Amino acid sequence: MSASIRNEEAPVRAVHIFRRFTLSQRWEHWILLLSGSILLLTGLPQKYRTASWSQYILSTPDRVKAIQTIHHIAAAFLILLVLYHLGKGTVLLARRKLPGDIFPNRKDLIDAWKMVKFLLFISKEKPVYGKYNFEQKVTYWFLFFGIGIMVVSGLILLFPIFVTRFLPGGVVPAALMSHSTEAVVAMIFVVIWHFYHVHLERLNLSIFTGKLNEDEMKKYHALEYKRLMAQTQKETETGGKS
Amino acid sequence: MPVRRALNSFILISSVFLFILALFSVDDRHENQIAYAAALPQSSNPGEPTPQMSISDETCLGCHGQPGLTMTLENGDVLDLYVSGEDHAASIHGQKGYACVQCHTLVGNYPHPAWTAANRRDATLSLNPVCYRCHSGQFEKAQDSVHGAALASGNQNAAVCVDCHTAHTVKQLTDPKTGELLPSSHVLIPQMCAQCHNAIYQKYATSVHGVALIDENNQDVPTCISCHGVHNIADPTTANFRLNSPKICAECHTDKKLMGKYGISTDVLSTYVADFHGTTVSVFEKQSPDAEVNKAVCYDCHGIHDIQRVDDPVSGIQIKENLLVRCKVCHPDATTNFPSAWLSHYIPSAENNRLVYYVELFYKFFIPVVIGGMGFLVALDVGHSIFMKYQKRKKSLPPTPPSQTQVEEVQNG
Repeated sequence: MSASIRNEEAPVRAVHIFRRFTLSQRWEHWILLLSGSILLLTGLPQKYRTASWSQYILSTPDRVKAIQTIHHIAAAFLILLVLYHLGKGTVLLARRKLPGDIFPNRKDLIDAWKMVKFLLFISKEKPVYGKYNFEQKVTYWFLFFGIGIMVVSGLILLFPIFVTRFLPGGVVPAALMSHSTEAVVAMIFVVIWHFYHVHLERLNLSIFTGKLNEDEMKKYHALEYKRLMAQTQKETETGGKS
Repeated sequence: MPVRRALNSFILISSVFLFILALFSVDDRHENQIAYAAALPQSSNPGEPTPQMSISDETCLGCHGQPGLTMTLENGDVLDLYVSGEDHAASIHGQKGYACVQCHTLVGNYPHPAWTAANRRDATLSLNPVCYRCHSGQFEKAQDSVHGAALASGNQNAAVCVDCHTAHTVKQLTDPKTGELLPSSHVLIPQMCAQCHNAIYQKYATSVHGVALIDENNQDVPTCISCHGVHNIADPTTANFRLNSPKICAECHTDKKLMGKYGISTDVLSTYVADFHGTTVSVFEKQSPDAEVNKAVCYDCHGIHDIQRVDDPVSGIQIKENLLVRCKVCHPDATTNFPSAWLSHYIPSAENNRLVYYVELFYKFFIPVVIGGMGFLVALDVGHSIFMKYQKRKKSLPPTPPSQTQVEEVQNG
């Protein structure tokens, strides 16, 4: 990841702005956010059909048809997003350019343990992180597999006759069970975990702006900051392009 | 000006007059409809036979007790005027002492006033309203029924009282104290309906319910009226009937005592409602009872009148091939595996619908672990930051206001 350096006038202090997410990644997040919200809003009434609020919304066959159509269109966008995301990952992997920052490793376990100890006042040492901390990795991979389950089970529910040509009939009610349960798990996860970390713990809008400032980098991604600064220094010394 | 005003008020007054007239004429027409019933002499207590009868049954039977007494109607139909005195005496009306003239109120003394009818059916239809005198409740229900509607729309073959109950051999069908059907009545009911609905009767007679009724006089199985109602029989081809139909079956099939006798599960309704077809049907039944819904109801899979045991070795739908035939009515491209997509009224367990059961089991553990783990970390984080804020405030109260550098010290410390 390159670091753009902006020099300001008067008090001579270089403020570094770090590019955290590419434009494509920010777009992906927007599509995920919108399609996910629509899927959730149109899916929950279908899940809780016995609840009175759901019956109020889905009172006629026409309304059920309409809400299902919206659900399927939003799902189509999400599936396209998944295909794009996996496709991009595959291409980058083939070119040996796939950044490995998001993959979980042993350090994440150690970090999590350190964090618990720190939060319990057992240790005063707070773990230092690279580009993504363990909490952010958990967010990514939890939703990665969650969406995988949603897409697969959703497609089974959409094409039950086709699917049962190859698979036992039991996969259909099993898909229904996992589709509706996983949706709620994902919703709870996003609300408790993701919203807490990006809104309450600190307001982190980098997925929308794509940027982090120097203070934030130092504080939350110290290892990445160190690496980038060292790299920048080397590049300026050797005159290499960033 | 005054002329116009006078004209205006004339128009106003005359239109009010016309409106009132119209109201009355509507009222008149309505009265005409039940004129026959009103023309009947009303006794003070319609349930009791009127004691002062001028004409005894013997007088009537003097002529009408002779076989062969007939009259020819307008279209040449021959109307049999013979009534067996024994039959009448054995009927519920005869037993209670009701006299001929209590129903045949218009015949008067002999010679009878002139009376004729277009044909035999017309004769029945014109005499049938006498039942209203005593049985107004049932009569009105029947008028609201699918038969009443058919009759009103001009179908003269639609069933009226005497078609099911007969005219002179009316039987006591219910226990007068409880209002429940007598044990001997059950088996008679399908026979009555069969007079017109024979094709359906034939199906019913071979069904699990019909066989039990006809062969064993089983009192628990439904007869026609258990599902279709007695006098207010509704049109069973409406969307409303379809949506409501699972409730009809559930009336007996969720009765633990009744089903216990036969070892039949009473979870059939709850498991149906929990599955995709039933969820939709039960919601629309409440929210839009007249909506056309193509989701399967009980009878789409189990059959309408030819309902068989699910474990019937030949046609039972426990056999997947048999169920597949039913599935294909709505899902024409369905293949062998498809029927198992339906949970077959089983609550998922390690024996039945294993895949669903294990998915459910997985989430039973997964959800608490996820929420618990996340909640634990988030709660620790919240607790920690609140504590640090409190600490910081205590430390920095006397000398200096908190600054950015101090915060970093705390965080890094």
